[in-house]
Amino acid sequence: MSFDEFQNQARLYVIGALEPEELEAFEQARKDFGQKAEDFVGECYSMHEAFALSLRPAKSSDALKDRLMSMVRNRQKP
Amino acid sequence: MALDFSSTPGTPDESAETRNVRLPAASPILEPGAPTDLELMHGIQAEDPEALSVLYDRYNGIIKALILRVIHNEAEADDLLQEIFMEIWNQARNFSAQKGKPLGWMVTLARRRAIDGLRKKQAYARAGERLQTETEQQPDAWVHNATEEEISFSDTRVLVRRVIDTLPVAQQQAINFAFFRGMSQREIAAKTNTPLGTVKTRLELGLKKIYDGLKELRDEL
Repeated sequence: MSFDEFQNQARLYVIGALEPEELEAFEQARKDFGQKAEDFVGECYSMHEAFALSLRPAKSSDALKDRLMSMVRNRQKP
Repeated sequence: MALDFSSTPGTPDESAETRNVRLPAASPILEPGAPTDLELMHGIQAEDPEALSVLYDRYNGIIKALILRVIHNEAEADDLLQEIFMEIWNQARNFSAQKGKPLGWMVTLARRRAIDGLRKKQAYARAGERLQTETEQQPDAWVHNATEEEISFSDTRVLVRRVIDTLPVAQQQAINFAFFRGMSQREIAAKTNTPLGTVKTRLELGLKKIYDGLKELRDEL
């Protein structure tokens, strides 16, 4: 697999769109390309942020946050 | 539906003041003195509830929007939002700044939980039917959104969407199914009655354009 092909597959990999039969070859190429591959896969995850940031934020109730913080503080208690 | 890839040229969010800005996929612009996302993650790792509170205020809207895009149910989205922030609290020790930004970590976590939730609650079929109905009734709903002009978009969103909007609708749709529905290439092919090879090509081309577009913006800035 060339690095260009690896890059194409990496972009599919980070969104979970690699087919099972493609995964093995991808993982092998990932090992073969070493740190360069790891760096690229890491960069690809920035697309996750981009997709999320393309959305209009949705509103949540204050009560939800209150519940969350109450749970967090309760877990802190010994 | 879709990636909310709904910005159109000429809408108010394309104003001149938004053109010379910031990294795409970056954190929102912070008030002077406000803690960075990384500082907040360190605070959470140190079990400081206030750090989680600030992080929640900063990102609950985006995370909930992501969840809603996956499961299309307000009550379930609220439940998941709470669970996800609890997971952020519980799993913060697994976050490593060397592997990426806090927002990327949170989005990856939230997406996984939302897709898991979609499947576990057997809402997949119902959501799929809703999705299909939306698609049939508004095939380009992510390209033209009726409420678009009423919304004030952040600079980051404008830039990201500008990149996404350059994609053909078929590529946007394929990426939407893969990212927000967790569908495999085969599932997308079946759902859209499209050859598997075409789906793969659409995903590869679309993701490359988005990746290159975001990288180009980062490099320019």
